[in-house]
Amino acid sequence: MVYITSWDEFVDRSVQLFRADPESTRYCMKYRHCDGKLVLKVTDNRECLKFKTDQAQDAKKMEKLNNIFFTLMARGPDDVAEAAGKDQMEPQATKKGRGRKQ
Amino acid sequence: MVLLQPDPFLNELTSMYERSTEQGSVWVTLKRSSLKSKVQRNKMKTAGDSIEYRCLIRATDGKKTISTSVGAKDHQRFQASYATILKAHMTALKKRERKDKKKAAEGAVSKKSRQVS
Repeated sequence: MVYITSWDEFVDRSVQLFRADPESTRYCMKYRHCDGKLVLKVTDNRECLKFKTDQAQDAKKMEKLNNIFFTLMARGPDDVAEAAGKDQMEPQATKKGRGRKQ
Repeated sequence: MVLLQPDPFLNELTSMYERSTEQGSVWVTLKRSSLKSKVQRNKMKTAGDSIEYRCLIRATDGKKTISTSVGAKDHQRFQASYATILKAHMTALKKRERKDKKKAAEGAVSKKSRQVS
């Protein structure tokens, strides 16, 4: 399991993963109150990125990440606010985006 | 697997968190899905229709699984409620005390050594 230590790196790589394959990428979160631990996992069934923490400040960051993923998933990976700075590729409306580019 | 509407899902999720304070975990998974089969998707693509994507959210406490599907219209509202639930329940995580250097030096050595860098 690939545990990422830097939050920003985790966010960047997971958004990249999602944009590359939105159909099969999923974002999982596991919370254990008794241990006070939170683990996040983003995988596209080929590659897996994980992040674990026991810090309250990371919960806030996770909420922002939740927002990012919600928007990406519900709207389609062409959300304008996300595209700025995160992606150099042309935003694609369809899931794989190969048909319409030509 | 129980498929619910967003609001009952949030209520169930809250009770899941409340039930697993002493032991157990809560898993929440987010995935994009158009909820159509591949054949239908291809048909819609060739017909020129835009496919409406929804965000599938599943939650489980190890025994029971609930799920809901949220579209672009309701995702803002769902997101806000979901964030509130998380904030309310994730209380077991540690808070960093950077300002109280005295305290850190005296007592809480364990917190410093467990910092995630």
